[in-house]
Amino acid sequence: MADVKGQEMAVKTEDRSLQEQQKRRPVVVTPPVDIYELEDGVVLFADMPGVPKENLDVQIDKNVLTIKGEIGDIVPKDITPLYVEFNGKAYERAFTLGPDVDVSKIEASMNAGVLKIFLPKSEEVKPKKIEVKVE
Amino acid sequence: MFRPWFSLSDPIWQDFDRLNTEMEKIFNENYFTPAGTVATRVPIPAVNIGETSDQILIYLFAPGLDPKNIDLTIEKNMLTISAGRDTSKELGEDAKVTGYYRKERFSGRFRRVIALPEGLDTSSVEAKYKNGILNISIKKKEEEKTKKIEVKVD
Repeated sequence: MADVKGQEMAVKTEDRSLQEQQKRRPVVVTPPVDIYELEDGVVLFADMPGVPKENLDVQIDKNVLTIKGEIGDIVPKDITPLYVEFNGKAYERAFTLGPDVDVSKIEASMNAGVLKIFLPKSEEVKPKKIEVKVE
Repeated sequence: MFRPWFSLSDPIWQDFDRLNTEMEKIFNENYFTPAGTVATRVPIPAVNIGETSDQILIYLFAPGLDPKNIDLTIEKNMLTISAGRDTSKELGEDAKVTGYYRKERFSGRFRRVIALPEGLDTSSVEAKYKNGILNISIKKKEEEKTKKIEVKVD
């Protein structure tokens, strides 16, 4: 009898850890973005509500810009959901950059759930004014 | 003379084939972005509601707002949240915009009305705006809180 009970317990704990794993598995959402071209670079805004600065991950690999962010703990543990429209737990999106971006000077900031990234154009492709001298 | 009713070498099929490759070319090269790069559309802004033993919690996913411009009212049991943002002003006036690649984010004003359940103490509403999420918590009335009832044995 004791053995059977032990087995049952084992099954139950296994079930539970599986459920917990599934709960923990982040639901990844593609954040909406605005991308503007400026004279001296490109600006990207991404809506990532719930992501604190420390959970943000902006990476550049070769010419691919990847933005990732995990939503922090916002709900108390003993909450029972009543109505859910948004079930995302993390955001992720990748962009291919053109060859004229100066990768070493990229700036990123986060404010009220909005990620802003400035991708400056490299010096060679910036529009330059050439003065015409009249003699 | 015997001739099959359907032949792939028939010129009409070749035309279809050519059309197909042309379409693929257009869609792949200029028109469609690769799968997975189109933003997930949610009703803007999304609302989640949950409860604990002593309060109701409402989460509104509305990034980029100025907390001063968020308008919250409760009338009877209807909670109204109205606010807005203008994404065209985010760049500042001196930015020299020469064009854009994507405009997917919400811009403008919105209003959401939420019917609250009975038995809430609407005088104890708390609202916090953090990382783009508006969190509203409303306490339940004392008599609505979950209580344990002991069963007596006679």
